[in-house]
Amino acid sequence: MGGLTMNTRVNPDFEKELQKYGKGNWNECFHCGNCTAICPLSEDGFLFPRNSIRTLQMGLEKKLETSIEPWLCYYCGDCSETCPRDANPGELMMALRRYLTTRYDWTGLSKKFYTSAVWEYAAIAIIALLVIVSFLVFLPLRPDAALMVNESGGVMINSLVAGVSPDRFVTLIEYGDWLMAVIVGGLLITNIFNMYYKTIIADKTVKIPLSAYFKEFWQLIYNFVTQASFSKCEKRSYWLGHLLLMTGYTIMFIIVVVFLPYFQIEEVVPVWHWQRLLGYYATFGILFFLGIVIFQRLRKNPITMKFSHASDWIFIIMLALTTLTGIILHIFRLAGMVEATYYTYIIHLAVLVPMIVIEVPFSKWSHLAYRPFAIYFSKLKLATLKEKSVRKLAPAIS
Amino acid sequence: MNSSSENGNEFHQKVHPDTLVIGAGIAGIQASLEIANAGYKVYLVEKSGTIGGHMAMFDKTFPTLDCAACILTPKMVEVGQHSRIDLLTCSEVTEVNGYPGAFKVKIHKKARFVDQQLCIGCGSCAAKCPGKAPSEFDSGTALRKAIYIPFPQAVPNKYLIDPESCLYMQTDGKKCGVCVKFCPVNDCIDLHAMDEELNIEVGNIVIATGFKIFDAKKVARFGYGKFPNVLTSLELERLINAGGPTEGKITFRTKDKKGNWVFKPDGGAPDSVAIIHCVGSRDENCNAYCSKVCCMYSLKLAHLVKEKLPATAVYEYFIDMRAFGKGYEEFYQRIKKEGVHMIRGKTAKIEEIKGSLKLRSEDILNNRIIEQLADMVILAVGLEPSDGVKQLSEMIGVEIDANGWYKELDSLLDPVGTARQGVTIAGVCQGPKDIPDTVAQASAAAARVLQSIESLKEVEFI
Repeated sequence: MGGLTMNTRVNPDFEKELQKYGKGNWNECFHCGNCTAICPLSEDGFLFPRNSIRTLQMGLEKKLETSIEPWLCYYCGDCSETCPRDANPGELMMALRRYLTTRYDWTGLSKKFYTSAVWEYAAIAIIALLVIVSFLVFLPLRPDAALMVNESGGVMINSLVAGVSPDRFVTLIEYGDWLMAVIVGGLLITNIFNMYYKTIIADKTVKIPLSAYFKEFWQLIYNFVTQASFSKCEKRSYWLGHLLLMTGYTIMFIIVVVFLPYFQIEEVVPVWHWQRLLGYYATFGILFFLGIVIFQRLRKNPITMKFSHASDWIFIIMLALTTLTGIILHIFRLAGMVEATYYTYIIHLAVLVPMIVIEVPFSKWSHLAYRPFAIYFSKLKLATLKEKSVRKLAPAIS
Repeated sequence: MNSSSENGNEFHQKVHPDTLVIGAGIAGIQASLEIANAGYKVYLVEKSGTIGGHMAMFDKTFPTLDCAACILTPKMVEVGQHSRIDLLTCSEVTEVNGYPGAFKVKIHKKARFVDQQLCIGCGSCAAKCPGKAPSEFDSGTALRKAIYIPFPQAVPNKYLIDPESCLYMQTDGKKCGVCVKFCPVNDCIDLHAMDEELNIEVGNIVIATGFKIFDAKKVARFGYGKFPNVLTSLELERLINAGGPTEGKITFRTKDKKGNWVFKPDGGAPDSVAIIHCVGSRDENCNAYCSKVCCMYSLKLAHLVKEKLPATAVYEYFIDMRAFGKGYEEFYQRIKKEGVHMIRGKTAKIEEIKGSLKLRSEDILNNRIIEQLADMVILAVGLEPSDGVKQLSEMIGVEIDANGWYKELDSLLDPVGTARQGVTIAGVCQGPKDIPDTVAQASAAAARVLQSIESLKEVEFI
């Protein structure tokens, strides 16, 4: 929909530029319309992916930069599988999502990370190093740490650090969590506003009534929680797997950020205790789906996994490492291995912190916000259409 | 035979005046008649039980809407009666030896089980025959008997038995044999007839093996073979034809008493028909090439549906409308004026909803999605090389391209000749083409053959 302003600048090299964000033979498209028609999510007002391919072929960068459509696609791969030209329409939507992430980010870091893996590795390494050094310098292992084992043989995790009381240690980590959440959240919110500006404000063709913002607000929450659109794709198992992953890390995120003092405790709670059950569910959910994705990406099959951008691998590996170090930490703690627990704790944070700081505002994980917002924005635009397109089963033109 | 020929040395050889034509569709028929009428003998080898090929199955031809049978059958009869054409039906070439000018060809002639001289075509045998199979001629829209004449105008107009559906042969003679009992002519039907091997020598070979239609089941999302009223274009062609299973009525596919899906005259008529172009053509997942004839035959079918059922809405879902020939663009404009709906956008999938078919397509020119209900969907299937082209190409020593079409010597200046001297190609076996082009190429192939025989007082082969 819309988004085309009065002055239309053509960038004939845009297709070449976009190849940095994803690989596809997009110039091969001969516009048969199969991709748009086979997509269960494409609807009047928001037709994709063919429209985006056309815009790309014409070099209308500005129009693509202000489009919502890429976020409405969940990449089931049906379009690419059946494309008669092998033009990879699904991968274009993926490439555009990566590209749009860099356009929404006002710091310019996102573009650096997406177009140069070295930049991303360096950023991860610096943050990880900061975490490790801070620990070793300010929160070193106390000399008598070996004694910090409770009656059930588990490591008293909050009592390992020299010069800091257990309560104070938890509070410090909690403050750290909050600081990270504020920085990451702040960046993300400004990016969302940027997205809102590009897709809604700058589009002079629509004027959205204030009431629509309230009326459609539930879409934002509903789609954030359920990813209901994703379930409309024919390959529903992928939606279920993704939901498992998403609920897994959301639970873990809430536990760690909101309930840390109840989670990171000295005693070892029984297996059926809520925190262990939730933790195990989250671990399973994340690893199960990640395992499938890693396997498919290595095999380059199905077609949606054929091309893996460096950012895909970095995200997957960081998430897998976070989960694995979490599991190892849990085992060491239960086994009463004090030193191992302390160092694994540091490594766990040295993976977790850069992952959140890099991925959420600047890279792949930002889709957690952009997708539900895109659906919300699309509903806002649809609400303004004078006659809502209920053209289903209508006769065709002559 | 001169042994130096194998070494590629130059030699002079008189060309044998007989010619082998492989395939008896319109291309093979045309080439055979031109050569035979010039005074030379032709062996016309045909795999099936009759000559005529696909053209005999068509109702009308585009863009003039001539009756296909009216043009073709006189030629078929001429072939059947020609003193210089030796017609070998149910036959296949199995071996080609020798060299240009003197090919030694082995032909496997399958038994027809009915004597071609004795059979009077009375039909008593078929009336009693219990064996049934989908009719090849009717593209599976109706059943035929195990002993049958492919269609009323078949040449030779004699019965034959299909061993696959014959009860006697399938039970090793334990059951049936009723045709022999009811045949009024003695020794006419021989259920134990044997296949024959024939050895002939010819100077030239014309390949005219034509095509087969794309198997629409390969595109599962269109539901062909699953939804009864998704048809191939060839099936619709047979429905429209007055000699077809529905006497020219366009009806729904229905189940007969024995559970076979067939078309009957009282099957009920569709109120809306959608035609999907490019099924099995212009698609990297099956055939990347354009089959060249589908746009035009789809327009023709749209016209014929409108002619038979004026109140029925007809929709054409196309990618590009390729109306390239003489009178073709005019034909397209004419069909549009007749009220056929043209939608630019290929249908992506078909679902069945309460007996109706729902098509989902992008209406590209109007920037919208169309979800449309239709009673009947026609898949404009593309053309593919016939079965066995690979073996034949190896046997004769002629190359085929990646798609299986025979390679011409020069696509611009010699679309008839091949890299092997003495072997010419005609019709769709060289690449998809319509009837006028096929006939033109067949005539050209015949001219090439005649040229070699005539000038062959002495011709140089390298």
